[in-house]
Amino acid sequence: MKAVGARLPRYDGIGHVTGRTSYVDDVRVPGLLQAKVLRSPHHHASITHLDTSRAEKLRGVRAVITHKDVPRNEVGLLEPQGFPADEPQLARDVVRYRGQPIVAVAAEDVDTAIEALELIDIQYEERPALFDMRLACEPDAPQAHEWGNVYPHFGPYNHRRVRKGDIEWAFERADTIVSGVYRPQAIEHVPLETQAALAIPEPDGRLTIYSCTQAMYYTLSIVATHLQLPMNRIKVIGGTVGGGFGGKVDSASDIVAALLALKSQRPVKWRWTREEEFLASSTRAAWHIELSDAVSSDGWILGRRMTTLHDAGAYARMSPYGLTKHAFHHTGAYTIPNLKFDGFAVFTNRVPTTAMRGFGVTSVSEATEIHMTRVAEVLGLSPWEIRLKNANRIGDTTGNLVAMQDPSTVRVTLAAAERIGLELAPGFRNMTGDRRSGDLLPEHLVAQQAPEGVHVLSRDATANGGGS
Amino acid sequence: MAKHQGRGFATIEYPTGMNQNGDPSQAWIKLKPDGRVDVFAGTVDIGQGSKTVHTQIVADTLGVPYDWVTMDNTNTDSSAVCTGTFASRGTFIGGNAVRYAADRVRERVLAIASEEMEIDPADLEIVEGEILPKGAPSKKMSLSEIADAATYKYGELISGQGTALKPLAEVSDHDGSVTVEPHSAISYAACVADVTVDDETGDVEVTRLISIYDVGRAINPLLVEGQIEGGAMMGIGLGLLEECYPHYPSAEHRGEQFGSYLAPALEQLPDLDNVILENPSADGPFGAKAIGEMANNAQPPAIIAAIHDAVGVWVTQLPASPERVLRAIRAKAAPRRDGKHVIFDEELSIRTVTSDGGAAFLNTP
Amino acid sequence: MELIINGVPRATASSPVTPLLNVLREEFNVTGPKPGCEQGGCGACTVLVDGQPRRACLLAIGTIEDAEITTIEGLGTPQALAPIQAAFNDRYAAQCGYCTSGMITAAQALLDRSDGPVTREEVLDALSGHVCRCTGYVKIVDAIIAASTGEFDPPPDDDRLDPSASEPEVQVRGSAA
Repeated sequence: MKAVGARLPRYDGIGHVTGRTSYVDDVRVPGLLQAKVLRSPHHHASITHLDTSRAEKLRGVRAVITHKDVPRNEVGLLEPQGFPADEPQLARDVVRYRGQPIVAVAAEDVDTAIEALELIDIQYEERPALFDMRLACEPDAPQAHEWGNVYPHFGPYNHRRVRKGDIEWAFERADTIVSGVYRPQAIEHVPLETQAALAIPEPDGRLTIYSCTQAMYYTLSIVATHLQLPMNRIKVIGGTVGGGFGGKVDSASDIVAALLALKSQRPVKWRWTREEEFLASSTRAAWHIELSDAVSSDGWILGRRMTTLHDAGAYARMSPYGLTKHAFHHTGAYTIPNLKFDGFAVFTNRVPTTAMRGFGVTSVSEATEIHMTRVAEVLGLSPWEIRLKNANRIGDTTGNLVAMQDPSTVRVTLAAAERIGLELAPGFRNMTGDRRSGDLLPEHLVAQQAPEGVHVLSRDATANGGGS
Repeated sequence: MAKHQGRGFATIEYPTGMNQNGDPSQAWIKLKPDGRVDVFAGTVDIGQGSKTVHTQIVADTLGVPYDWVTMDNTNTDSSAVCTGTFASRGTFIGGNAVRYAADRVRERVLAIASEEMEIDPADLEIVEGEILPKGAPSKKMSLSEIADAATYKYGELISGQGTALKPLAEVSDHDGSVTVEPHSAISYAACVADVTVDDETGDVEVTRLISIYDVGRAINPLLVEGQIEGGAMMGIGLGLLEECYPHYPSAEHRGEQFGSYLAPALEQLPDLDNVILENPSADGPFGAKAIGEMANNAQPPAIIAAIHDAVGVWVTQLPASPERVLRAIRAKAAPRRDGKHVIFDEELSIRTVTSDGGAAFLNTP
Repeated sequence: MELIINGVPRATASSPVTPLLNVLREEFNVTGPKPGCEQGGCGACTVLVDGQPRRACLLAIGTIEDAEITTIEGLGTPQALAPIQAAFNDRYAAQCGYCTSGMITAAQALLDRSDGPVTREEVLDALSGHVCRCTGYVKIVDAIIAASTGEFDPPPDDDRLDPSASEPEVQVRGSAA
């Protein structure tokens, strides 16, 4: 074993420190055209009139595209996972967020491309817009999305659900019920490299795309579906990205560059400005999380009720996935036997939200960990002890019945206490993640335990897991 | 009129791999006639260092020096599928793909070496590019010789391919249950945050972050540190600085420039005290789990708890900007108590702001 | 007009109000300095103008006609890294690498105007206007301080030593992505 665990030079280190690593915008190609995109200035509007003819005639303009030029305009980012498409690559008759792309232009230089945008004749009729996800179901709420304001495709439900054990028992039995509301915010990815794609039509009819994507094959598949081409007609070149953090998965610049390249039969580069990156690129979602924990006076978390709203923005993108991940981790590093979780992906007329570092779990960790400290305080217990007591242990199951094989909740918590020189009470400082027994296995945790060797508990086992 | 110090902490967990699985990574490897190793893997390096980690994994799995390995992740013609660099899957799933491919190459190398050396493959090992008979290392052959023999004598391209794929875990729409683990592993972390809060300006300064990360196995400790450090700053951004829409629900954006959108700057860097624990995974490469995304999850709640410790207020609308901290200090909000119920933040609740108590969201079956 | 780029006079056809960053990248294909924001807010485009760190995205070329312009390419090469570059590489101070050119260039200016080792405060002062989203800045600061101690300076010329006998300090993996 010489390389694993060793101190070795970064594979790409020399390129980075000499300025020689090549990113999309560094690629040089003869005959390159520059792309610019007309974006909606309105949060929500109908497009009542669109005429691109003057732009097309401007000297130096080589291609202008609208939704009509996209062989398949709506492709869902999660279509393979069974989530239907809803978002147009280029807007057709409605725009649902400020910054939504409508028309794209490729020209000999950036100034000409910008001038061409100004020659596009477009008229809008503004519609009321929804910005507060909590008000999405009010009788007078504007309708932000064609499907209504709540994502409807979780099977027969409009929400992601977790049901485990007997929540009524837990809240009945509880000595105290602590409720709180947590609102993690929307933030930007802020990679140092903005979105960029360079598409080159090859002599053999293939299309080469230099992409900043975090996922070359994923982008290949999305582009191929938009263009209605088989995968071998497109070659995605990438592998080195100037920061992503989840914001370079949606293939936000590749399809437009590809279409302009095909239409003009010239290489086309679309590099977003930093302004576009801040104002129009997808963001981390804002969340609204309402949480109630049913607790015993000696610090057992008997049950948890949680309702989450996830601000998907104007289109679904990855939101159903993030919400599902959030649901799966809403008990955090702890074992809570009785659960009622509902998560809604709510449409608003904001920039569509997408994956960002920790997608779905960042928000649930934030909410549940603040809450845990609050619960400890309300009960007059140590925030360390309450965590250690309820910590995941071998054989404990999560909300979705997964059995913990070797959880490290206790390990990392004790290591943190040790690192700050905090002396815990004897019963706690020697705790381990071993299977529960004795005082650590009260009646109400028995039913949720999985036998040794079982990785997922069967549904029937926890139907009445609340306790006697 | 004063600065107050406070400490808070949080313990978290995070899954490795795409939620519900079904996300393959594939790789293939060939040897050049002189024994050098060409790897074709599709994992994109967004700075986290997957190219480096995968090279290390191949080097040690095959038994060659690190600099014998060329890692090509540049395009979709020569590389096979890697679902993507997200969901903290690059080291575990991408790494397993290259590891399986390297295992196949190793098998072929030993099979040919066995022919050449007339020794059973089980009695051979590959160390630093040499094939050594166990117990008689002086009778070694070099990988160069074996690759040359494969090319010009045996007529074989020594190659191997590998796929890492955990089958899709279907989820019940009714109750969220699954029948297959919906992740490849789970990582854990704890974070203690020390803050100083100015009760006159609402400014919160993070002075120290103590972080404990269980990453299974640190294949490259410097890259793991890089994630911890980068994640720490993003966590501070989430807790204190960044927001797209400062006046939610207004859609007015923070700004279109670095000066107006507050991405964490060098000034915000606190003391960082990092501990890396290794509680190996069952089937990650060399026991690795993941860290990439988890790295910014523990700080925000630890910081909020630390603010409470310092000035006795809870800020649950993030970020805890100076304005929000000051408003909280002035409001001195206390939870409503109703029998055994202790209710915080009622003014924020869906129940409060809607005309019907939020029935559509709060009254589900 | 003519610009002096990394010691070489180059004739430019761009108008005097063109930002230096555009001239470097688009006209001269000097792509080390990066267009992180083109607003002067991130530092990724930093070059040295007569030894001073400047934001090339905001610098009209008409104002620097006779100046010595140094980009990252002029500081060192893969075969002959500047000490600051070797330090960044050794300390893993680059992750995605996009802010790295600007950071290194500004750090070089700090080293040039310092007499010996720099303190953390001096590094903060010199680089506070540079944004990095990946590293959390820790290893960048470490690398700069390490470079300032001389740790990565090449050994002094000594004709008693056989240059071919020494191991290269870093292995060249190839400069392309």
